[in-house]
Amino acid sequence: MLIAIVAYFYYATRTHEDTAGLTVDYTVEAIPFIKEFEKDYKAANKKYAEKIIAVKGIVTATEPADTTLNIKMADTTTGSYLIFAFQNQHMPEAKRVKEGDEVVIKGSCSDGVYSEILGTYFISFKRSTIEN
Amino acid sequence: MKRTILSLAIATISMIAFAQKKTSTSATIAFDASTAIDDLPKAENKTAIAAIDPEKNTVQFEAAIKNFAFSNPRIQDHFNQKGWLNSDEFPKATFNGVITNPSAVNFKKDGTYTVNVEGDLTIKGKTQKVTTPATIVVSGKTLKTNAAFNIKLADFGVEGQPITAGKVSGEPKITVAAELN
Repeated sequence: MLIAIVAYFYYATRTHEDTAGLTVDYTVEAIPFIKEFEKDYKAANKKYAEKIIAVKGIVTATEPADTTLNIKMADTTTGSYLIFAFQNQHMPEAKRVKEGDEVVIKGSCSDGVYSEILGTYFISFKRSTIEN
Repeated sequence: MKRTILSLAIATISMIAFAQKKTSTSATIAFDASTAIDDLPKAENKTAIAAIDPEKNTVQFEAAIKNFAFSNPRIQDHFNQKGWLNSDEFPKATFNGVITNPSAVNFKKDGTYTVNVEGDLTIKGKTQKVTTPATIVVSGKTLKTNAAFNIKLADFGVEGQPITAGKVSGEPKITVAAELN
């Protein structure tokens, strides 16, 4: 009974760790990474979904997202893009990044999905942090 | 003569700009299935895609299910599992709708408008009709939109013990916010 109560409180009160302290599963360059999804998104999702990935690339846009901000790295030839949503504690670093900056962003890769609206692939990241 | 041609050109470009589909790749969709006994089952997806076509009065959203971020890792896992949203097989939720009272909004004039939106919401491969009021704020070439409505999880094939036990609301609130350019 005591074990069950302790286990419940452990799981109920647990929150995601700070991504900055997590081990990176893959380190990639933005454009070749996008190309992997465009070539075979199912295989890419199997490899990368829910993994911690450090992505090096040029910021093509910063976008307001409600009260926060997202950063995009797009393949301007196809329109497909990576989009990073940030952990709250790392929002100040994200807000300092400007379009055209070369950065390394580390985050939890959700997956890559084809957008019927845009006609491109979008690969989403959550709980991201700026690495440089 | 030159001035007339220039004025016509500017007017034409402005009309084309207004008529173009407005999009956002950073729309926010919040999912709140918290109950009186459990505050944890709620999440936000800040990377949804939204589009409004002022010419056709269409409204569209797409969201990657896996990018709904929960504070609690265990609930995040449950949300994506086969018995719940089954995000491996059904990786996105979509909404395709229309503004049913298009005369209520003037996309060419700054202001705050309340419209009614009706359309098909698809989650976990199941499609249901959704009708909701929405606010559209026109500010120059930018549109800001907000809407909130409830869905029945059972309508989308999402059922289970946490719902019957009252830990997860069977009728979560969905809140949508987007700034479209």
